[in-house]
Amino acid sequence: MAKAPKLDSQPQVVTANDLLTGDVVYLTAASSWSRRIAEAAVVANAEAGAALLATAEAQAKANVVVAPYLIPVLISGDARSIPPRPIQYREIIRAEGPTTESRPAA
Amino acid sequence: MYQYDEIDQTMVDERVAQFRDQVARRLAGEISEDEFKPLRLQNGLYLQLHAYMLRIAIPYGTLSSRQLRGLAQIGCKYDRGWGHFTTRQNLQYNWIKLEETADALADLAKIQMHAIQTSGNCIRNTTTDQFAGAAHDEIEDPRVWCEIIRQWSTFHPEFSFLPRKFKIAVTGSPNDRAAVRVHDIGLRMHRNAAGEIGFEVIVGGGLGRTPFIGKTIRDFLPKQDLLSYLEAILRVYNQFGRRDNIYKARIKILVHEIGIDTMREKVEAEWQALRDGALKLPQEAIEQIAAQFAPPAFENLSGIPAEYANAFRTDFEFGLWARRNTFKHKQPGYSIVTISLKKEGAPPGDASAEQMTAVADIADRYSFGEIRVTHEQNLVLPHVKQADLPAVFKALKAYDLATPNVGLASDIIACPGLDYCALANARSIPIAQQIALRFRNWERAHDIGELKIKISGCINACGHHHVGHIGILGVDKAGEEFYQITLGGSADDQAAIGDLIGPSLNAADTVNAIDTLVETYLRLRKSSEERFLETYRRVGLVPFKEAVYAVA
Repeated sequence: MAKAPKLDSQPQVVTANDLLTGDVVYLTAASSWSRRIAEAAVVANAEAGAALLATAEAQAKANVVVAPYLIPVLISGDARSIPPRPIQYREIIRAEGPTTESRPAA
Repeated sequence: MYQYDEIDQTMVDERVAQFRDQVARRLAGEISEDEFKPLRLQNGLYLQLHAYMLRIAIPYGTLSSRQLRGLAQIGCKYDRGWGHFTTRQNLQYNWIKLEETADALADLAKIQMHAIQTSGNCIRNTTTDQFAGAAHDEIEDPRVWCEIIRQWSTFHPEFSFLPRKFKIAVTGSPNDRAAVRVHDIGLRMHRNAAGEIGFEVIVGGGLGRTPFIGKTIRDFLPKQDLLSYLEAILRVYNQFGRRDNIYKARIKILVHEIGIDTMREKVEAEWQALRDGALKLPQEAIEQIAAQFAPPAFENLSGIPAEYANAFRTDFEFGLWARRNTFKHKQPGYSIVTISLKKEGAPPGDASAEQMTAVADIADRYSFGEIRVTHEQNLVLPHVKQADLPAVFKALKAYDLATPNVGLASDIIACPGLDYCALANARSIPIAQQIALRFRNWERAHDIGELKIKISGCINACGHHHVGHIGILGVDKAGEEFYQITLGGSADDQAAIGDLIGPSLNAADTVNAIDTLVETYLRLRKSSEERFLETYRRVGLVPFKEAVYAVA
């Protein structure tokens, strides 16, 4: 697994896997979890990221998700119309699914 | 084929019930993820990038048609209608839900299957020659010994928490198709000067971060001493293997650090205390297990059947397929058929539920209901009458299963890579898909001949890249996927670790580089008889390296 990049003043979101299904999920502004990165709560810096992660970790303890962590994202314009995009290719694949051909869609 | 007795079935059923309870306690919050993780791993359940992945043991790669049909049904019920055959002769489901895993395992138990010994620091599922019990060049069916090892190793209390995982492979043929020299223990059956059959015991091979070719610790081990000798090796490893550093915990590091001679002294000393004890195998017990692997009721056949000869002469596609995908059987009039799961452009090793069911049906009709899984991620029909080959070809073709490329450039081993695996640094499958498409011209592919390309998405080397004639290793270079290329590796009886050709390349350049390497081989080979690996061994790294990096 590649090293995580520095998050200091990057827009960032929290991701994890759903405990029951293993699905990739993102923490929303309402402190729930969504399978769509478009619905993720985006915060602007490491300090806000730490607070977001603390919320997520409480939910990991409550057996909702497994192993939450922060990832940097790119945002362009209105986040409601253009979803945040992960920077690391690992996270792009997690967000969008396998890139191989001839596999069934989700 | 081996059938479960009451003890086997009870063990597997109880294990399912135990895991069902563990999952319930996890979901109820009674155990934390940290406590649960080792328990789920002991049941083959990993949390990967997009979902849970369940790894099913296929002991020594042998399946009945009933089992394969069951795997297809389980793939439909709990996955997305697919299964992925791995380089460990296992099957993985990539889209499993935790809440359904116990039900999936219960369904597996009904077809005498499970996920035991597919993860954790135990003795893993033993692998062998996919042509076992069928190959013309075999001394003895190695599956008998794999089953004996399975019965000894499953839930072995002393070896359930080894320093690291432990893999054993067995070959019953002098032509090693089981890669025994790159396993923790490799067993090679052979005859001694007195004509008795026993084992050469090879120890300390392995791929991963630090690849080693195994070393012979004992040239000839009598059969009845197999388990006591294995136990002696495992005891020495369990005592002296390193537990301070996960990357130095495999037995290969111990053998490398203390040397094979010291290792041998320690093992032999331990063995002297064990060899005449409870593990000495009574002839009767060996025969009971061997009887379960008795050959099917072959017909007495001779000569080349007309159906086969005619099809070979008149059907070009059949001829290509029969040349590449069949292998000589020990029984006259029969052939071994390899079913390629490497249709150009498809993910290596994937089979749809429909394909698995079709293979099960074809096996019932033409191969005594038997199927094998190869460590090169293909399937095998071990016992097909040559007269039936044209019909088998036609039946396979209807399901996209007759790609005539076994052993060719497009018959690529690839790990799941970053498309699925949480450990990966880079993707493997798309690279395999793109390379395979470059070699889809059969005239060119068959002219190139045997070429083993193996791709891993990280240093753990599930894709066996070190032993590929061409090996490809995915790395992360400043946030981008890059690939290192090695040349000259081999997993057979002349096992070798490949040599790195130079700096890593991006994905597009990697695919182009493979083309360049092949063109260089075609230019340098003495004749069309000289295979890629032989040319490489004759001319060395330099001309290949120059060709790849000249353009850049």
